[in-house]
Amino acid sequence: MIFTCHKITIDKEAAINPFIHTHFDKCTGCSICQLACSMDLTGGYNPRRSRLDIRHKNEHLFHMPVVCSQCENAYCMQVCPVNAIARDTHGIVKIDAEKCIGCALCVQYCPVDMIHLDIDTQKAVKCELCRGNPACVAACPNGALEFITGPVKEPITHD
Amino acid sequence: MTDAYANKFLTIDLSNGSVSILPVCDELKNRYIGGKGFGAKLLTDGVPSGTDPLGPQNMLLFMTGPLTGTSAPAMRGCVVTKSPLTHLFLDSYFGGSFAAEIKYAGYDGIIITGRADRPVYVWIDDDRVEIRDASDLWGADILETNLRIKAELADDTIKIADIGPAGENLVPFALIGCEFNRQAGRAGAGAVMGSKNLKAVAVRGTRLVRVNDPKGFARACATALSELSQSPDIRALALAGTAASVEFASETGLLPHKNFTYSTFDKAAKLGDKGQAKHLWLGTNACMGCPIGCAKIGAVRTGKYKGMVTDIVEYESAALMGSNLGISDVRAVAHLVKLCDLLGLDSMSCGSLIGFAMEACQKGLIASPPGIDLNFGNVAAAQHLIQAIAFRKDGPGALLAKGVRAAAEEIGGSAPDLALHTKGLETPAWGPRGVSGMGLAYMTGDRGGCHQRGFTVPYELAEEWEGKKIDPLSPQGKADMVIALQNYSAGTDTLVKCDFGTFGIKADTYADLLAAATGRQKNADCFSQTGERIWNLTRQFNLAQGMDPCSDTLPRRFVQEPLPDGPAKGHKISESDMAIMRKAYYTARGWDNMGKPTTKTLRRLGIEP
Repeated sequence: MIFTCHKITIDKEAAINPFIHTHFDKCTGCSICQLACSMDLTGGYNPRRSRLDIRHKNEHLFHMPVVCSQCENAYCMQVCPVNAIARDTHGIVKIDAEKCIGCALCVQYCPVDMIHLDIDTQKAVKCELCRGNPACVAACPNGALEFITGPVKEPITHD
Repeated sequence: MTDAYANKFLTIDLSNGSVSILPVCDELKNRYIGGKGFGAKLLTDGVPSGTDPLGPQNMLLFMTGPLTGTSAPAMRGCVVTKSPLTHLFLDSYFGGSFAAEIKYAGYDGIIITGRADRPVYVWIDDDRVEIRDASDLWGADILETNLRIKAELADDTIKIADIGPAGENLVPFALIGCEFNRQAGRAGAGAVMGSKNLKAVAVRGTRLVRVNDPKGFARACATALSELSQSPDIRALALAGTAASVEFASETGLLPHKNFTYSTFDKAAKLGDKGQAKHLWLGTNACMGCPIGCAKIGAVRTGKYKGMVTDIVEYESAALMGSNLGISDVRAVAHLVKLCDLLGLDSMSCGSLIGFAMEACQKGLIASPPGIDLNFGNVAAAQHLIQAIAFRKDGPGALLAKGVRAAAEEIGGSAPDLALHTKGLETPAWGPRGVSGMGLAYMTGDRGGCHQRGFTVPYELAEEWEGKKIDPLSPQGKADMVIALQNYSAGTDTLVKCDFGTFGIKADTYADLLAAATGRQKNADCFSQTGERIWNLTRQFNLAQGMDPCSDTLPRRFVQEPLPDGPAKGHKISESDMAIMRKAYYTARGWDNMGKPTTKTLRRLGIEP
C-alpha cells in the first residue's frame, strides 16, 4: 500500500502509529510550540509545563525539538507495573490517570525523557497528540514539526 | 481576577542577604503597565539624586511586562538602573528567554540593591532564593560562567544573566549577557552588577502565566501573527536580520566609516547580509516566543578564526566594529564582536571607542601601544584594545575603559572633537547628518544618544510623516515626529515589546493583547499616553541626577563638519538647526526653555512635580 501524508510518502504494508516528525534543521528554538502545548494542557503558559522539549546545543547553533515518538516498541508501556499505559485504537500511547500510581518507572525508561510526573498530580503524563490535532504542530511558524498519520485502523476524528 | 502579571516583585538586598516580596499595586499597573514604566517609577522612587551608580544604593532592576512569557509574539525584558556611563536613567533591553523565566518563577521583576561582601550569584528556583558563592567564577567569561553555573546546579535548562571580566572591572559600558547571544548591552548595566559583586542571576520557574481572557488573547495573537506575516519589513528581517541595513545605510549615507568621518563604505556588502550569509550563517536562532527570528546563527568555518560559533553580526556591531574601523572582513568583525560578548563589553561603545582611538592616534593625540599599529583597518589593534579595555590594562586600555567622553577629556586638546557621544553614551551607527530628526532623537534620548528611542530614519528617507511631507535635511517638522515615536516606543516598552515586532503589529493589536492578558480596558492611545508619562518621569529623574539640559546636543563632528560623501554630502546639523529643533521639541513637550517639564505638564500627567 502507498499513502501520502503531507510531504512524506511511505510505502509500507503495515499500519503505522501517528506521530510528530521533527525537523531540527528548521527549528529556530522559539518555543512557540511549547507555549501552545502548555496552554492547551494547563490553560497557562510555560514551556516547562509542555509535553515536548527543545534541546539547545552549542551556543544555540542547533535547536533539537524532542517529542514522544508514540513508539512501536514503547518501553514505557512495557515497564508500567499497573498497565496504566496502553495504545488506543488510533495507535496513540496513552496513560490512564486513574490507574497510574506515580511510580515513575516509565519516566526512568523513556530514552528521550518524554514522560514526566505532573507537578501537581504526581501522575505520569506524556504527549497524547491533542486528540488528533497537535497544538504544537499548528503553532510552529517554521514547519519544524509535522504530524504524520498513516493507515491506522480507525481514523482520528478532530474535535 | 486572573491576569498575566505575577503581581509581585522579588527584592534582594545583597548587603545583608535579605530577600523579600513586594506586591505590585494596582496603581503601578494602571499608570505604568510594566517593563520600562515599572523600572522608571521604581528607580525614581528608590534612587535619590547624587547616588553613585556603582555604589550599594543604586538599584539594579530586571523587569518584565504583562505580555512577557505569554504567546504574544516577540516580547522581551529590560534592565533598569542608573548608568555609570551617563550617570542618567538607563533602560537596556534583552531578548532570549531570561525575562520569561523570571515570570515563570512567579515575579514581575527582580529588584537588587546593596553590595555583597564577596563574589556571589543569585539562584532563584521559584520561591526558593539562594545567594551562592561565586568566588571561583570571578574572572570567567560570559559563556563559561553560564555553563559552569548550569553544571553546578545540574540543570542545563536554567536561564542565566551574567557578567564577564569587564563588568567585574567596572568598565562603565560593560554589558549583561542573557542566555547566549542576547545582551542588555548599553550604558553599563554590567558594571552595576559588578559593583554589587554579583556575577550572575540564575532562574528556574515552573509557574504558569495565565491570561484573563484566553479566547480573546488567542484571537489577538492570531491578529498579531497575521500582521507580522504581511509586513514586508518583517519578511526582510526574517531573511537577513538587521545585517541587510549595512548596504542600505551606506547607500543612504548614514553608515559610520572611520569614526563617523565618512558616511559610506565601498566594502559594505562584505559586512552586510551577503557577506555574512556566505561566510557565517547556517540557520536561524529566534528569541523565546518570536516567530520572526531576525538572528541568524552560524560559525566561522575557515581562516584565522575558524571553529567559532557566531550569532548574526547585527547592524550596529557590523557598522561600529566594521566600517567605522575600516575593517571589511566579516569573519574578523564577528571575532571582535564575540570577544566583546565574552568579556562582557558593549560592542557598540567599544567599536566607537576604538574608532576614536584610531583617529586620535592618526592625529597624534595618543600613541600606539608598544608593538601595535593603531590604525584604521588593523584587526589586531582592535583586538588588543578590546582586551585592554576589559581588563583596564595600563595605557590606552585604562584610558578608553572610562568611556569616550571621559577619555577625550583626559587626553585634552582637540580630542573631545573626535568623541562621538551624547550625554556620554557613544553614538549608535546611524550618522544623523542626512536625517536631522535622528539628530534630535539623539539630542533628547532619555538614556543619552540612542537610536532606539525614536527611530526616524524610515520616515525621513521616505520624506513623509503622518501624511505630511518632510525634508530629511531640514530642522523643521521634526519635533512632533520624534516625540510621537519616543512616546509610543516608551509606551510599548512597558509590555515589554521587541522593536522589530512594532514593524508589523499595530497599536490596536497590542492594546487587544494587553486587555485580554490583564482584563483591563485598554485602547491604542494608552501606549502613547503612558509613554509620555514615562518620558517626563525619566526627564525628571535625569534632571534630579544633575543632567545639564545644555547637554541636549550633538557631537561636534555632526555640527561643525559637513558630510564629505553620500547623498547628503555637504550637510551638517548646525547650531541653529539644533536650536530650532530643541525649541520646537521643548515647546511641544510642555517643557520650559531650559528643558524642564513645567508643573502644569507634570500635573497633567499625574507626576509629582
